[in-house]
Amino acid sequence: MTTENLAGKAEQLYNYVQERCLWQFFSRTWDRQENIDGILHATGELLCGKQPPRHTPMEKLFYSDAVIMAADFRQRFPWIEAEQPSHIHELMQAVKEKVTEIAVTKSLNHELNHSLY
Amino acid sequence: MPMVLLECDKDIPEREKHIYLKVDGEDTRDFLPISNAPTIPGTLSERGCAFCGAKLVIGGVLKDTIQMIHGPIGCAYDTWHTKRYPTDNGHFPLKYVWSTDMKESHIVFGGEKRLEKSINEAFDEMPDVKRMIVYTTCPTALIGDDIKAVTRKVMSERPDVDIFTVECPGFAGVSQSKGHHVLNIGWINEKVGGVEPKITSEYTINFIGDYNIQGDTWVLDQYWKALGIQVISHFTGNGTYDDLRCMHRAQLSVVNCARSAGYIANELKKQYGIPRLDIDSWGFNYMAEAIRKVCAFFGIEDRGEALIAEEYGKWKGKLDWYKERLQGAKMAIWTGGPRLWHWTKSVEDDLGVQVVAMSSKFGHQEDFEKVIARGQTGTYYIDDGNELEFFEIIDRVRPDVIFTGPRVGELVKKLHIPYINGHAYHNGPYMGFEGFVNLARDMYNAINNPLLKLAATDIRQDTTFYREAAE
Amino acid sequence: MGCEIITKKRQGIINPMYDCQPAGAQYAGIGVRDCIPLVHGGQGCSMFVRLLFAQHFKENFDIASTSLHEDSAVFGGHERIFEGVLTLARRYPHLRVIPLITTCSTEVIGDDIEGNITRCNEALAKEFPRRTIHVVPVHTPSFKSSQVGGYAVCMESIVKTIAREKVQPTGKLNLFPGWVNPGDVTLLKHYLSEMGIDGTVLMDTEDFDSPMLPDQSIHTHGRTTVEDIQGTAGALASVALARYEGAGAAEYLQEAFGVPAHVVATPYGIGNTDALLRKLSEITGKPIPASLVKERGVALDALQDLAHMFFADKRVAIFGHPDLVIGLAAFCLEVELKPALLLLGDDNSKYKRDPRIQALKAKADWDMEVVCNADLWELEKRATDPDYKIDMILGHSKGRYVAIDNNIPMVRVGFPTFDRAGVYRHPTMGYRGAMLLGEAIANAMFAHMEYNKDREWLLNTW
Repeated sequence: MTTENLAGKAEQLYNYVQERCLWQFFSRTWDRQENIDGILHATGELLCGKQPPRHTPMEKLFYSDAVIMAADFRQRFPWIEAEQPSHIHELMQAVKEKVTEIAVTKSLNHELNHSLY
Repeated sequence: MPMVLLECDKDIPEREKHIYLKVDGEDTRDFLPISNAPTIPGTLSERGCAFCGAKLVIGGVLKDTIQMIHGPIGCAYDTWHTKRYPTDNGHFPLKYVWSTDMKESHIVFGGEKRLEKSINEAFDEMPDVKRMIVYTTCPTALIGDDIKAVTRKVMSERPDVDIFTVECPGFAGVSQSKGHHVLNIGWINEKVGGVEPKITSEYTINFIGDYNIQGDTWVLDQYWKALGIQVISHFTGNGTYDDLRCMHRAQLSVVNCARSAGYIANELKKQYGIPRLDIDSWGFNYMAEAIRKVCAFFGIEDRGEALIAEEYGKWKGKLDWYKERLQGAKMAIWTGGPRLWHWTKSVEDDLGVQVVAMSSKFGHQEDFEKVIARGQTGTYYIDDGNELEFFEIIDRVRPDVIFTGPRVGELVKKLHIPYINGHAYHNGPYMGFEGFVNLARDMYNAINNPLLKLAATDIRQDTTFYREAAE
Repeated sequence: MGCEIITKKRQGIINPMYDCQPAGAQYAGIGVRDCIPLVHGGQGCSMFVRLLFAQHFKENFDIASTSLHEDSAVFGGHERIFEGVLTLARRYPHLRVIPLITTCSTEVIGDDIEGNITRCNEALAKEFPRRTIHVVPVHTPSFKSSQVGGYAVCMESIVKTIAREKVQPTGKLNLFPGWVNPGDVTLLKHYLSEMGIDGTVLMDTEDFDSPMLPDQSIHTHGRTTVEDIQGTAGALASVALARYEGAGAAEYLQEAFGVPAHVVATPYGIGNTDALLRKLSEITGKPIPASLVKERGVALDALQDLAHMFFADKRVAIFGHPDLVIGLAAFCLEVELKPALLLLGDDNSKYKRDPRIQALKAKADWDMEVVCNADLWELEKRATDPDYKIDMILGHSKGRYVAIDNNIPMVRVGFPTFDRAGVYRHPTMGYRGAMLLGEAIANAMFAHMEYNKDREWLLNTW
C-alpha cells in the first residue's frame, strides 16, 4: 500500500468514525483514549478475521462497538476485504492517530482534562 | 471566517465565539464554539437555572418520590406542568409539587424548622409515599440552611422513609447543566448501593438519560423485554427511587442523554467497573445499531437481529412514505444540547431532511464536538442563542420547520414557520422505530399545514389563491 | 349552615395556586409598550415565567434576565444589572422602559437597586443622549406575598417612576383592571367607548391576542405607552377594578397629584358590572347608554335559562386570584349557584377583612368555607372527601387533575388556563363575561351529564 493510498483509505474510515461514533467524544481524555485504543484495536482484529477477547466487561464493550464498525466498514468500503492483515493494522493505526488527534491531543474542548466528572 | 459575528451582536462582539458556520475541510481542531460559559445579561437567552436542571429534568421524573423544594413558592410553581413525562402509576410526578413556601421571617431566622415541618406534613398527607428528594433554592442556599441535617433528623424519626438532598441553587453554574451534574454526582455518592435488586435475567442494564417523554421509555422497554434484558434502573423515565439505588448491580450502562446523565455513567464505570455504552435512540439506523451493540455485549446477537427485522417490517414502510415527501426539507433544532447531535444525522439519513441551523441552550464543548462531527457544512452551530440571533439566523437559512420549545414556537409562528416541540414532542413518543415514524409524521404535518399558505396571503393584493380556490 | 373563614394549617404547600412575586411583576411589565422587563436573579426566574405566559396566551413575550451566577451571589450583582440594562438599550433601539425586577436571591444578597439605576441612568444619558429610557425599580422578593402582590408592586412602581410630575388635565380616566385577560380589556374599552369616555387602561393588554400577518410582523406587546402613563397624573380620576392588583397605583396618583381614586368591586357578574357603570357615569357625568342596557339584557336573558333549572343549589369551589374569586362568588349567587369553597392562595392577612368576603359571610345560609393561604391540596382533600360535595370547580389549569381524578366538571377561568383553547380571548368581566361564563358552566355540566350518563336525557328537550 502506498502512503497516498493508505492516507486516502484511512481518511474514509476516519470520516466514518467522526460521523457515527459517540465513544470518541466521552467527557475526559482518559475515557476517550481508552475507547479509541480498545475499540479500534478490536475492530482491526475482527477485520483480520480474529476474535478479540470478550472476557472482562470492558473487552465486551469494545467488542460490541467494534463488531458493528467492522461490519459497517465491510459494507461501506468493500476494498477492505482485499487488504492484507498488515495493511489493516497500518490503516487502523492511521485512523487511531487521527482520531486521537481530533478527540484528544488537538481537541479545543476546555473540560477534557478536568479531574472530576 | 467560520466563527460568525451577527449583525444583532455588534454590541456584544464576544458572541462571535459562540456561533460557528461549518465549511468544507474544517473540523473541531480548527474551531469549537465556546459553551457552558456565563450568559451575557440582558440578551434574552433561552437558558434556565441549575435548580431546574436537577428538579425538573431528572429528579422530578421519579414516579414514587416527593419533590420537596425548600424555598419561596415560585421555584415549585414554575417547575410544574412544563414537562410531558407520564408514569404508569397515574402520572404522580405530573400532578404534584411541594414547597416549603419560605417567607421573610425564615430568611431572617433560618428555614430549617419550616423544612422539617413541611417534610413531615408531606409524608403525613401522602402516607403511601416513602421517598423524597429535598432541593435547596437560591435563598435557602444563600442563608445556609443545613438541609442534610434536617433530612437526617427526619429519617431517624421515620425509619421507613428515605430522603435524598440536592444542594443546587438556581444561581449555581451557568445553566441547567450544573443541576444535572450535582444530582448525578450526589446520587452516585450517597444512594447507589443502598438497595440490592432482584435479578431476573442474566442480562442486566441501567438505562440512563431517558425521561419517558411522551412514553419514550415504554417504547424502549418493549425492546429490552423482547431481548430478555432486565433494566435494573431507569435514570429516570418512569423510574423509582429504589431502583436507582440498585444501579451498581447492572452489567452495562446504556446511555442516551450523555449531557444530563453521562456523569453517573462515568462514575458507575469508575466506582463499580460497569462499562458505559452511548447510543442514539432516535432514528431507525441508530436504534438498530444500538440494539446490535447491546446484544453484541451480551452475546445475544440473534435476538437483536430478529427484533430489528420485526420492527423494520412493522415501521419501515411508514417511515419511507414520509421520507419520500420530506426529502430536502430544511430543519432547525433549537433545544438543550444533545438532541442536536442525536438528530442531525438521523433526520438526514432516515428522512432526507437537511438540518440548517442548531442552537444549544446548555450543551458543553463535548456536545459541539459531537454535533460538528456529525453535522453538515453550511450549517450554523450556536451556543446559548438569543432571540435577536434567532431572527437573523432564520433570515439566513429559512428553515421549513423548527424543533424547539413552545414559547419560541409561538414566536416563529408569526414568521409563518411551524414548530415541533423539540423538548416534549408534539405527538410522541419519538424514540425507537415507532417513535421516529411519529416524528416524521409530525414534521410532515407541520410543513404541510395549509394555514401557512393562507397566512402568507395578503387578501388586498394577492388574488392567486382565491382564483385557485374558485377553480 | 354558614360561612367559615379559615387559614390553611400546614406550613408547606402541596400544589400552589400562585406563582411568586417576580412573576406578577413580569406580567405587569409586559403590558407597557416598548418595554422589556429585566429580571435580576437566576435565569429560571424569567425563563419559566415566559413559558407560563406562552402557555396561557400562546404567544411569546420578551423578558430579559441579568443571569445571576455564583460570582454575583458572592460579590453582588451590580455589574450584571449595568451590563443587562446597557445591552438591552443597545440591541433594542426602540426600548423605552425597563422594569428592573428583583427576586429572592438578589434581595437576600442586598443589591442596591436604586443606586444601580442611578448609575445606569448616567451611562444611558451619555451613550443615548436622544433617548429617554425609564429604568423602574421593582422590589419583589419571592419570599413575600405572591404573583398577586408582585403585579401590584410593579404597577405602582411603573406609575411612580414614569408619572413623576403633574401634567395638564387630560380629561381622561385611568382604568386599572388588574391582572385580566385581553378579552376583558377589550370589553372594558368597549364600555368606555359606548359611554363616550376617553380612558387610559393600565395595562392595555389587548394585543396579547395578536395575529399572524402576511408581512410576518409581530405585534405581541402591551399598548400602554410612556405618554399614557405620564398622562395619568393629569387624569380626571382613577378607577381600580381590583383591590389587590393595581389599586395602590390609583391611590398613589391621588396622593401625589390629587387624581381621585375609586376602588370598585371587581366587575364579575351583573351587579358588580352595574356598580362599575354607575360609578363611571357618576365620575364623568356621562349617562349609561341604551346599548349597554341591551347588552345587560342579553346576558340576563341567557342566564335566566340556566339558573333555576340547572344551577340552583349546585356547590361550586372557586380558586384563583382574590379579586377574581370574590367576584365570581358574587356572580354565582346571582345565578343560584352556591359558592361553597373559596380558596385564596397567599398569606395576605387583608383577605379575611375584605368587605366583600364579610358580605358573603353575612349572606351565607348554606355551608361555605373560605380558606386563606390555601394550596390546591386543600381543594383536593375536599374533592376526595365523599361527605364534602363539590358539583363544579371554577379555577385555572393548575387544578385540572383535581377535576379529572374526581370526575368533577370544571370551567377554566383566571390565570393560567393553558389546558383550554382561547380562554384568554373572551371576557369574564362585564355582562358579556357573565353570560359566557354562565354558558361555559352550563356546557361543562351538560358534557359531564352525557359522559356520566347522568340524566343526560334532560337535554333532549331543553
